[in-house]
Amino acid sequence: MFSKSKPMWGKKTKLKSSYDVVLIGGGLHSLATAYYLAKEHGITDIAIIEKNYIGYGGAGRNTAIVRANQRTQYNVPLYKEALDLWPVLTKELDYNLMFNNCGNLNLMHSEAAMNAARMTIATAQFHGVESHLIDAKEAKELVPALNISEDITFPIHGAMFHPPGGVVRHDAVVWGLAKGAAKMGVEIHQQTEATGINTKNGKVTAVVTDKGVINTKQVLISAGGYSAALIHGFLGIKLPISVLTIQAMVTQPLKPILDHVVSSGAYHCYANQTLKGEIATGAHMDPWPNYTTLNTAHYIKHQAEALSEFLPALRGIRFMRIWGGLADMTPDMAPIMDGNEQVEGFFMDCGWGYFGFKSCSAVGRHMASFMATNTCPDILKPFALKRYQEHKLMGETAALMSYTPDN
Amino acid sequence: MALTITCPICGKRNGYEFRYGGEEKGPRPDEKDLTPESWCDYVHMNKCVAGVQQEWWFHRDGCGSWFTIFRDTTTNLEKETPEAKE
Repeated sequence: MFSKSKPMWGKKTKLKSSYDVVLIGGGLHSLATAYYLAKEHGITDIAIIEKNYIGYGGAGRNTAIVRANQRTQYNVPLYKEALDLWPVLTKELDYNLMFNNCGNLNLMHSEAAMNAARMTIATAQFHGVESHLIDAKEAKELVPALNISEDITFPIHGAMFHPPGGVVRHDAVVWGLAKGAAKMGVEIHQQTEATGINTKNGKVTAVVTDKGVINTKQVLISAGGYSAALIHGFLGIKLPISVLTIQAMVTQPLKPILDHVVSSGAYHCYANQTLKGEIATGAHMDPWPNYTTLNTAHYIKHQAEALSEFLPALRGIRFMRIWGGLADMTPDMAPIMDGNEQVEGFFMDCGWGYFGFKSCSAVGRHMASFMATNTCPDILKPFALKRYQEHKLMGETAALMSYTPDN
Repeated sequence: MALTITCPICGKRNGYEFRYGGEEKGPRPDEKDLTPESWCDYVHMNKCVAGVQQEWWFHRDGCGSWFTIFRDTTTNLEKETPEAKE
């Protein structure tokens, strides 16, 4: 992977001593930001600094689900734009991102949940996102494998059906964006660790790496789950983030039985069938901050129990692979995107929790505009760090997600 | 990935018996001279250390004690003191 041979996105370049823009983290948010900086703003003197390899973190560990049925008026338009961009990017990048808009089915297990779904659906429809409420029978017609009997722990009352959602091949997005960005002159430096940011008179002057100092006036930290630790370590800025390991797994390959993404809040479980036939499933997080990305027996059992109740055809099926990644959770389940606020020339794009993949295309585009013009686009304004001080939390969850005593 | 937590009363127990209570942030700020910044800092802000941190735990399915431990967030292992090495 790091051999002398040519990387798949272009030619290998030597790290220069200065760039117009440095992006820390070789994940999808950095790649998309670099791509749009080059494409829409003509800024091509960019270095992406990645400690491991591109797509090492959340970009290659998520379960590839995309959707735009979030809860608030601030989030929905952002995710809608991201969803609309997959076919556009597939063409633009000339790279098959394998977007399969098979539709998301979000199961509801109580009348209270059905009411909450009604509100979310109204928000979606207001913003032009297709989303309907369906009852248990209709859900069963869409997904015959579903167990709609009342004889399970959380009987299914209905579902929120979101047809335009689905799955995108996450690795393809990494490779496609890397190729697209590199073609326009963006440099990707793997195996290069950022170790600090130098500032002078409240302005960014350089990024320090283990391969040397890079002079730059603009730096973005969008390093997924590692962002909060880097931002605190480099600049002493504390963030309302808790970093947790989120786990996922795939079963042995099966004949086609599931042609939707099915998820359940009550069972803390989601599942979809990949093109290889495996059931990809996940959702659980052990509720204490850690950077281990390791799996737990507790969770394997939980996942098996949940799946065998609402998708009983999967009883006896074996899990084949299992892995973990990081989710940087904020109390209001909404990300933090900010720039030129704490330090001039410093931008951040973090706190995505487990929504980083779904949003990367649109966010890269808007962060690029933010960095190129030094003006925050209206769509990103509500996501500034200051909202916590002003007590303007986003309400993406009805109750605060806090890994602190009140939960 | 195993987690065990040493409760000051019950000793070393399975981590799932406990509830994480947040990073140790020092005493609650005095209400006199409290600013939105200092309150927000106390309520929401974390250092997210990838390494050893002091943190609160609550023995939810046990004696109900609140206490702090040092834990390495990259290995989930408890440490005697913040300086303790592997």
